[in-house]
Amino acid sequence: MIRRPITRSWAVVLGCLSVLLLLAGYTWVSHRQHQVNPDDTTIPNWSQLYEGVKKFTQPDRKEERWIVEDSIATGRRLFFGLGLGVVFGFAIGMMMGCITPIEAFLQPPILLLAKVPQTAALAVYFVFFGTGMEMYVAMIAFGIIPALAVTVHLAIKDLPSEMLDKAYTLGASHFEVAAEVVLKQILPKFIDAVRLAIGPAIVFLIAAEMVVGDVGFGYRIRLQFKLTNMNVVYPYLVMLAFFGFALDYGLRFLRAKLCPWYQRDSK
Amino acid sequence: MILSDQNNFGLQCQGVSHWFGETKVLFDLNLNVHAGQFVALIGPSGCGKSTLLRAILGTHPPHRGKILTLQNGRLANADRPGRDRGIVYQKYSLYPFLTALDNVALGLKFDQTTTAFRWLNWAGWGKKRREFRDRAAAFLDKVGLGQAMHLYPSQMSGGMQQRVAIAQALIMEPEIILLDEPFGALDEATREELQEMLLQFYEENKEAMAEGEKPPYTLIIVTHELNEAIRVGDRLVGLSQYWDWKADGHDRSPGATVVYDKPAPVFRPDERPDYELFADIRREIRQVVYNPEVLQRRDEHVNLNPTS
Repeated sequence: MIRRPITRSWAVVLGCLSVLLLLAGYTWVSHRQHQVNPDDTTIPNWSQLYEGVKKFTQPDRKEERWIVEDSIATGRRLFFGLGLGVVFGFAIGMMMGCITPIEAFLQPPILLLAKVPQTAALAVYFVFFGTGMEMYVAMIAFGIIPALAVTVHLAIKDLPSEMLDKAYTLGASHFEVAAEVVLKQILPKFIDAVRLAIGPAIVFLIAAEMVVGDVGFGYRIRLQFKLTNMNVVYPYLVMLAFFGFALDYGLRFLRAKLCPWYQRDSK
Repeated sequence: MILSDQNNFGLQCQGVSHWFGETKVLFDLNLNVHAGQFVALIGPSGCGKSTLLRAILGTHPPHRGKILTLQNGRLANADRPGRDRGIVYQKYSLYPFLTALDNVALGLKFDQTTTAFRWLNWAGWGKKRREFRDRAAAFLDKVGLGQAMHLYPSQMSGGMQQRVAIAQALIMEPEIILLDEPFGALDEATREELQEMLLQFYEENKEAMAEGEKPPYTLIIVTHELNEAIRVGDRLVGLSQYWDWKADGHDRSPGATVVYDKPAPVFRPDERPDYELFADIRREIRQVVYNPEVLQRRDEHVNLNPTS
């Protein structure tokens, strides 16, 4: 039978099994590679990986730990870029959804900008914002604003007009309808949109760091890849994955806290 | 007893006409509703019942004519939705992100506090909110939902949702409350319970009238169930495009207007009407309002003087 439910413990066992299989498969591929070439660094074995982890967690010649300086640099860029993008994406989407002249005014550029591949537009950001913090922040923000604004805008247009008319009959002002009815109703959809925007945001950031960075995850991955130090590259990728997962989990938690009704609704 | 003895109007529609392009919907419609009346609005589908309701609500003002509702104690143009008119839809009346209690308390919050007050005066707002919630809880108790006040709409049955929706509108004590096929999606037993609930509000009207006070609830209910109209309404208003417009000098149908307007029998909430007894009323309404073959003068079955 399709979609027959399984017990929780059985689901956990199956989940762990797939991860174990992945690790075992890697171990085997790496083992085969080292039989051909004992000095291989493209598919490092576990002891080589341990060396790689030590390399980026111990202080280097400049007394800097790579993991610390890369995390701080990439984290700050992402934080400010996402923050700015989320605030403006939300504000623009709300205004487009609630105020029809603004909708007509902003719709064409937003729809076009949403289609520009940010990684292809890197050069534009270098020209306008240099290669410092501003460039990263601007690129992430501009990269996610169109998608977020469109999501909010469409979510508002999807609201039944009855709900808005109803609020007016309850004595709400225009601002109250926007802030207490529209905003609360679309909040869970917006949080989901932010979850989806994190992926592209990280792509833009890593791409830019690879091209012009002097510190950060993208910079480190590109440099260590050139030296074929894959024992540093792979752990960095794993950390990026866990970082993205943690952000996503945090936002899901936030949604459950802020919109307890939404979970029930979607079930 | 018909609660129309006083001359205080809650609603006046004067010569209301409306059309969508070539499609004529409403024509020269006159309807006066007294405070305390329960008007059941009936008519064939497509006759403009919803158009009229939206016009009264103020979201879609009519192209011609005037709709006046009681606003701050005087009759004023109803060209936008306001707190003096409540509405209950068949669905989408409740906000899914609020519990039953907060859905009912929402209007008090919008009406009696401002955003600035809520943001700046936290202590004052906390006190007000407790007061609003107490009032909402008391109202929910009255409509038999004391147990369900902390449920979200998605956790409630359709009947419970409509109860909450009616409480949400009534707690505002609007001058007139519009119900747009409120029980259309409910099963027969639930419908009857909700009809009883409306009749309980009618009892409160009677008590207020007996003490010489203004009746608190005035209501227009749109329904396609004749028995529901007869039971809940104290006045039956039939809207129809099937009337003898040729006699009035039109060469094509100008739209629907009021073709039937008569008092309806009044029931107590606990009284189960014997619908068999009202076969005459139903037959007359089917002829006058619903039958496209039978065209009569528009005022032939209008027994309440509309401009009284």
